Amino acid sequence: MNRTVVLVGALIVTPLIVVLALSFGKDPRAIDSPLIGKAAPTFTLRDLDGDVVALEELRGQPVVLNFWATWCQPCVVEHPLLIASANRYEGQVRFVGVIYQDEPQDIRRFVSQRGSWGPSLIDTDGDVAIAYGVYGAPETYFISSDGVIAEKVVGAIRPDVMASILGPLL
Amino acid sequence: MSLSQIGLGLVLMALLTTAIGIPVGFVAGATRSAEGLRWARRLAYLFGISMLLANVTMEIALLTHDFSVSYVASVGSLATPIHITMVSLWSSLEGSILFWGLILGGFTAAVAYLQRQGHEDYLGYTLGTMFVVGLFFSFLIAGPANPFRPTPLPIPTDGPGPNPLLQNHLLMIIHPPMLYLGYVGMTVPFAMAIAALLRGQLGPTWLRPMRNWLLLPTSFLTMGIMLGGWWSYEVLGWGGYWAWDPVENASFLPWLVAIAALHSAIVQQRRGTLKAWTTILIMMTFLLSILGTFLTRSGVVNSVHSFTQSPIGPLFLGFLAFCLVVVVALLALRIDTLTSEPSEDAVVAREGAFLLNNLLLVTFTFTVLIGTLFPIIAEAVRGVKVSVGEPYFNRMAVPICLGLLLLMGIGPALPWGRASRAQIRRALLVPIPAAIGGLALAFLLGGRHPSVLLTGALAGYALWVTLDQASKPARARLKKGESLPTAVDRSFRKAPRRTGAYLVHFGVIITFVAIAISSSYQVNLEASLTPGQSAEVGPYLLTFDGIQLIEKPHLTSQQATITVAKAGKSKGVLQPSLNYYDTQREPIGTPAVKTTLTHDLYLTVMNVGEDGRLGLRAIVTPAVVWIWIGVVIMVAGTILCLLPSRPVRTTKSVRAVESAA
Repeated sequence: MNRTVVLVGALIVTPLIVVLALSFGKDPRAIDSPLIGKAAPTFTLRDLDGDVVALEELRGQPVVLNFWATWCQPCVVEHPLLIASANRYEGQVRFVGVIYQDEPQDIRRFVSQRGSWGPSLIDTDGDVAIAYGVYGAPETYFISSDGVIAEKVVGAIRPDVMASILGPLL
Repeated sequence: MSLSQIGLGLVLMALLTTAIGIPVGFVAGATRSAEGLRWARRLAYLFGISMLLANVTMEIALLTHDFSVSYVASVGSLATPIHITMVSLWSSLEGSILFWGLILGGFTAAVAYLQRQGHEDYLGYTLGTMFVVGLFFSFLIAGPANPFRPTPLPIPTDGPGPNPLLQNHLLMIIHPPMLYLGYVGMTVPFAMAIAALLRGQLGPTWLRPMRNWLLLPTSFLTMGIMLGGWWSYEVLGWGGYWAWDPVENASFLPWLVAIAALHSAIVQQRRGTLKAWTTILIMMTFLLSILGTFLTRSGVVNSVHSFTQSPIGPLFLGFLAFCLVVVVALLALRIDTLTSEPSEDAVVAREGAFLLNNLLLVTFTFTVLIGTLFPIIAEAVRGVKVSVGEPYFNRMAVPICLGLLLLMGIGPALPWGRASRAQIRRALLVPIPAAIGGLALAFLLGGRHPSVLLTGALAGYALWVTLDQASKPARARLKKGESLPTAVDRSFRKAPRRTGAYLVHFGVIITFVAIAISSSYQVNLEASLTPGQSAEVGPYLLTFDGIQLIEKPHLTSQQATITVAKAGKSKGVLQPSLNYYDTQREPIGTPAVKTTLTHDLYLTVMNVGEDGRLGLRAIVTPAVVWIWIGVVIMVAGTILCLLPSRPVRTTKSVRAVESAA
């Protein structure tokens, strides 16, 4: 019996198996589930012009809350759809963007070139993103008119998905 | 009897066969009974046949659209073309495990048949071990991942069809089987390593078959990894071929260790040393295959390849734990029996290069493994979500790959055994002009990155050594007055493995150089175009002609037409598209690629505005095609290595050259 092999083997095998076993039941993709059906975390942030936007003041209308950045490809992809949707649902739904790990001047340049679909809020220190448990950009939260998170979409959103989620919320 | 019942019956037959095969195999191994061995081999054939028939049954169910079989109801569809229906066997979890069973059955039966002579000392244990793995997979197929489960009533009249990505490209049809052949094939060398430990000896009747059975799955894995990269490049539309995604890493890890094992086996054959080390590497190859399968099939890591969580995750982990414990216990009990033959020489010259090669490959393996597992470790230990991105892997991989390239140059140049300083110096200095040539060429072609220049120099050196070593026996024969064709033919037939090995090195050098160039000199363009507008990228002028809407069953696609011109001359039309599958929320882009020997022009649609504006991404990447060419050369070399050598007329002086190399 070679004791070195037993020792080294045990030192490698035990932590590996324990760590892998602990990872069960934690689906790395389904990070959203705890928030759906719960009250949306409130926030008060300033937009690019310095105006204050508070989520609580938007109650009474469904809110599409989109975490995005200019460096994120799917965000760029879904940008035209968000503009079109903001136009289509004008007066019925509020579209609000939260800047996710990006610089305000980059957002400003991007918006001036490609248009805007709503206020872009500066999330200093990323507190709001943490409160919503944002894993990456883009993530879109659909908040009902009474302030409850109804649905979450990870990745670029599609027109039909947008319509099918917003329909019941109106 | 329904197909569900027939299929399950066949799987249960496989389960029973392997359950009986385990004691029969191990007892035959322990008692060296010829009769026992005969029975173990019969059971291996029976296992292979049961798995084959079970898979045929599933194919019949798929092709006849028998939706009473649960797997057919979940991946079949009347609208799916027939060739896609056939391959949807491996489009989803249950089917791919059944397919895995087929390959394992095939390998078990093939080992039983091909190793019936010359490997008797080990065959009982080898088959016994393969039956253990077979039992686990038969159990998965019969129970937790049973694809033959009857569909609950009412039976649907049509199904959703397989994963759209499978339908998107031909490569997706051949890429998974190649990987499975690689993963499952690693069971054979693993079983042989277990047999060697149980027997307590490693002789030539073990080494030769083991090496071939290790080479075969390694070449499948090489092919599978390349096809995966190619598929990701041609289909996914992000312009790259490798992203260090967990699923990619899962296939890369066993490959790296297999390469290390193949090299240490050469030292073992030459010098009778490194026996225990080779055995450990072989077993790691299999264990990493299982770990990789676990990681990708259990849903514990986040990956672009969307595998859902499934009940087989814990079972796979249990099997992995079982294998690990058995391996550690066996090593602890038996490793001292695998002592190396006494060698009067110190570790010098070429052996040293082989050892360094092994060290680098194992370091590479652990680097990738840690990066892949780190998110899981971080969550388990600190409860935080982290992701390890490409920068980490690239930062670690570049110096390691440069080190491997360096060793590929100096290793084969060095003599075996003890060598004088003067001999070593001479061997290493001769190829220096080639290194300078490589450096100069890289510089003249516009290379300015230090890593690219270094790659050029090392590649030049390695290329010289490879060509020099590969042609040495033929040149010795030429000197003896043989004609050129005879000399080449005879030296090849005498040692196809030698030619094959250097061909593999040649392919690796090409691939390394192509990766260095393609990852350093991309030209990127993102443009927003209205019909009629143009944009320039690299040497190309791209003109956007318009968007077409194409409706197919299951998908709607927006196809952009772009006219490509270079230096005023038309170079044809490229049509990248954005596909909206009915079953998927996010659109999948299909890029359009124009490949030339020097560079690729790669176009993807980022988005299409409501006003018909096209968001276009264009990338010009140099040398991409050489990555694929290099890998194909590697696979061709591996196949040569599998050919048996045949005796040819050889004079004494030629023999001296051949054995020195």
